[in-house]
Amino acid sequence: MTTPDNEATIEIQHLIRDFKPLDGDLLGALHAVQHRYGYIPKIALGVVAHQLRLSEAKVYGAASYYSEFRLTPPPGTLIGWCSGPACHLKGGDHVRRILECQLGIGMEQNTEDNRVGLHLAQCNGTCERAPQVWVDGEVVGPLTANATLDLVRKLKDGA
Amino acid sequence: MPTYGELRAAAEQAWKPIAEPPRPLFAVSINTSSLAAGAQATLDALRGLADAGGFDVMRTGDTGFAWAEPVVQVVKPGGQRVLYGPVTAERAAAFAQAAATGVATEFAVGVISGDAVAGVPMLADLPWMKLQVRWMMEHCGVIDPEDIDHYIANGGYAQFDQARAHSQDELIEIIKGSTLRGRSGSFFSTGTKWSFLQGAKAEPKYLVCNADEGDPGAWVNRVVLESDPHRMLEGMLIGAYCTGATYGWIYIRDEYPLAAARVGKAIEQARAKGILGADALGTGVRFDAEVVRGAGSYVCGDETGLIASVNDGRGMPKIKPPFPAQSGVLDQPTNVNNVETYTAVTTLLRLGADAYSSVGTEVNRGTKMFTVSGDVAKTGCLEVPFGTKVRDLLEAAGGVAGGRSLKALQQGGPLSGMLPAQIALDLPLEPEPFRPLGAGMGGGGLVFVDDWACVVDLNLMFAHFLEDESCARCTTCRGGNQRMVEIFRRVSRGEAQPTDPEHLTSLAASFQYSNCFHGTLSPTIMNNTMRFFRDEYDAHALEHRCPAKVCEALIRYTVANQTEAVAHAAAVCPTGAIARDGGAWAIDDTRCIRCDACREVAPGDIVIEDRYKDAIPLRAIETASVARAGG
Ligand SMILES: Cc1cc2nc3c(=O)[nH]c(=O)nc-3n(C[C@H](O)[C@H](O)[C@H](O)COP(=O)(O)O)c2cc1C
Ligand code: SF4
Ligand code: SF4
Ligand code: FES
Repeated sequence: MTTPDNEATIEIQHLIRDFKPLDGDLLGALHAVQHRYGYIPKIALGVVAHQLRLSEAKVYGAASYYSEFRLTPPPGTLIGWCSGPACHLKGGDHVRRILECQLGIGMEQNTEDNRVGLHLAQCNGTCERAPQVWVDGEVVGPLTANATLDLVRKLKDGA
Repeated sequence: MPTYGELRAAAEQAWKPIAEPPRPLFAVSINTSSLAAGAQATLDALRGLADAGGFDVMRTGDTGFAWAEPVVQVVKPGGQRVLYGPVTAERAAAFAQAAATGVATEFAVGVISGDAVAGVPMLADLPWMKLQVRWMMEHCGVIDPEDIDHYIANGGYAQFDQARAHSQDELIEIIKGSTLRGRSGSFFSTGTKWSFLQGAKAEPKYLVCNADEGDPGAWVNRVVLESDPHRMLEGMLIGAYCTGATYGWIYIRDEYPLAAARVGKAIEQARAKGILGADALGTGVRFDAEVVRGAGSYVCGDETGLIASVNDGRGMPKIKPPFPAQSGVLDQPTNVNNVETYTAVTTLLRLGADAYSSVGTEVNRGTKMFTVSGDVAKTGCLEVPFGTKVRDLLEAAGGVAGGRSLKALQQGGPLSGMLPAQIALDLPLEPEPFRPLGAGMGGGGLVFVDDWACVVDLNLMFAHFLEDESCARCTTCRGGNQRMVEIFRRVSRGEAQPTDPEHLTSLAASFQYSNCFHGTLSPTIMNNTMRFFRDEYDAHALEHRCPAKVCEALIRYTVANQTEAVAHAAAVCPTGAIARDGGAWAIDDTRCIRCDACREVAPGDIVIEDRYKDAIPLRAIETASVARAGG
């Protein structure tokens, strides 16, 4: 009998079939899973552990260590707020206060309807567009407070 | 397997139409900075116009001119080259027509080569370029980083091919003699480090390229990997020859997907040409490599953290010894170098030791790449000789934005320090002069801070970063950073305790007992602040005042003039804090989140004031209470 869990297991096994034990492949396997699902589902921890001959605890330990791996499903739109110095000097905190206040959530939280989430991101060197956020990976900036208000309004309306 | 000479001849054929294009050639910079500025749309638009316009379009990497992105270079059949930017998709048609037939003066940044053009400066005369000696960046923005032939045609892999003319020891001596030291900010002799791996007994041996570049405000490594990945890879191959390493890991941070893709492609193309593999270029060297993607952890940039990240997944720095040269990736002898270090090795050999030593200082010859950002007119990446003055670099970048004055330099990421303008401006850019100041130069990030910023606020920001990024193995680092956050938070709120400076001093001492540099260097910025910016600390601590009017608990937004603009401000205020109180507009401070939206629409009419205007300085309170107790 194929249950959804079985199917997911088979799919993940297929996804990570080229990764080998004792070959420095754990991060690669976790990236492959997150790339496919947008996060690392619980079921994947066991499949990865089995493939790489590790304990599930070790795989969870790795997955939970990094700020860019997610263990819960991503929101509809993920806003990464740049916490870097250029953005900070140019009003990044104004942007953050508006995002948090208007969405009613803090960093690493999603709105109740899971439409929008906030993530504290690190500078990727696009500092000439400070202050900025990344909306689903796309740089939006330089922002002003008023541009941020417009952006949140659009996201909340689901536009 | 073809020889290097055969590969070179074929590559030159492929390069010819680019060096001497039959029609105007538009080279569009595609890199993370340009993509953020819309360069993909520019590229698509120009491709759409190419046939009708009678020109060709190609892709290049990153010129370092982040301030002018999207950047397009146009090469004419006669050899004239002009650099343009910004060229947005919306204006692509107007631009293309002008640039294909003549010079699009309106968009021009400078003439790279060819005859002078009225109204357009020669690129080399721009302040941005004048100081630069672009050796490592020679190909940045010139070749297509996704085409190995472009690199080979321009002399790429010749240094690796010729490496065997020297013995391993000779080559290591050349590198040692060049003063080349680790460009991550470690400044450890690269030749010496390679000799450790060369001397290691166990096999196989590995090389790691550290492309974690976690220092916020630094993207030097990204520019190299997105523009000329083979130059770094050739450095690793030379390292493989010198040390006997047979496999390499290139550890690239998660924030750099384009760099990871381009390095991945570079590896595939090098493998296909027999430059990587069992008998690389027929030299007898066996070497192959793969990309490992990081996942967002600053301490994975530490070499032991990086190795742990590859080995165990969980990238917690470890105690040394064992050193990587004894036990590194998969517990085998390993050498870790920064992207720029490998790139500098290739560059040194290309130029020859004498030419390489012709610029720089006595102890630091050659050039270093820097990224400039923050309150500076032009943000971007430059390559200058070691020893260039900070003042000159700032001038090259157009000075402080908006004509304001410089308050501080925050260099080399959160572990390297923050120095006041009057000291920083005269510093030559090499590591030694920074050390007596209790600071480091770091790996190339230079963030300029103007007088609108508050150093207490910046300390709080960096303390948050250091706390978040501590791996929590050591109590001194985890707990110390928590404590640093706590203290700077209360200082920023005007709630400092009189003993806080002593707390910070003892904290700085206890940090020294941490395992890795993340812990031991965590107090650097804080120490710099207490030494160089004590006035500003005291204003917060003793007078409950933020002189720059940044710290949210010490400021308030108020209405200065009852104007029409204030009514607009009330309409945009996200919390409804601005309301009419009787006839006049006023701001309810308890509702105000200090988001600045109102001041943007009513500048001058809504202003920021000290929250505690007539506050009694803490010292005065103390004295008063002491006096009372005594009386
Ligand atoms: C917390 C921490 C973060 C670091 N991050 C980086 C980094 O992002 N890139 C890097 O090359 N070196 C980084 N280093 C330095 C490395 O440990 C190592 O010294 C370096 O990769 C050696 O390269 P080099 O000899 O070419 O300088 C970091 C060190 C520490 C303690
Ligand atoms: S010093 Fe900090 S980052 Fe380094 S091992 Fe200790 S806790 Fe981890
Ligand atoms: S700073 Fe923001 S919250 Fe405060 S009054 Fe102005 S618009 Fe409203
Ligand atoms: S500080 Fe935000 S992109 Fe660099």
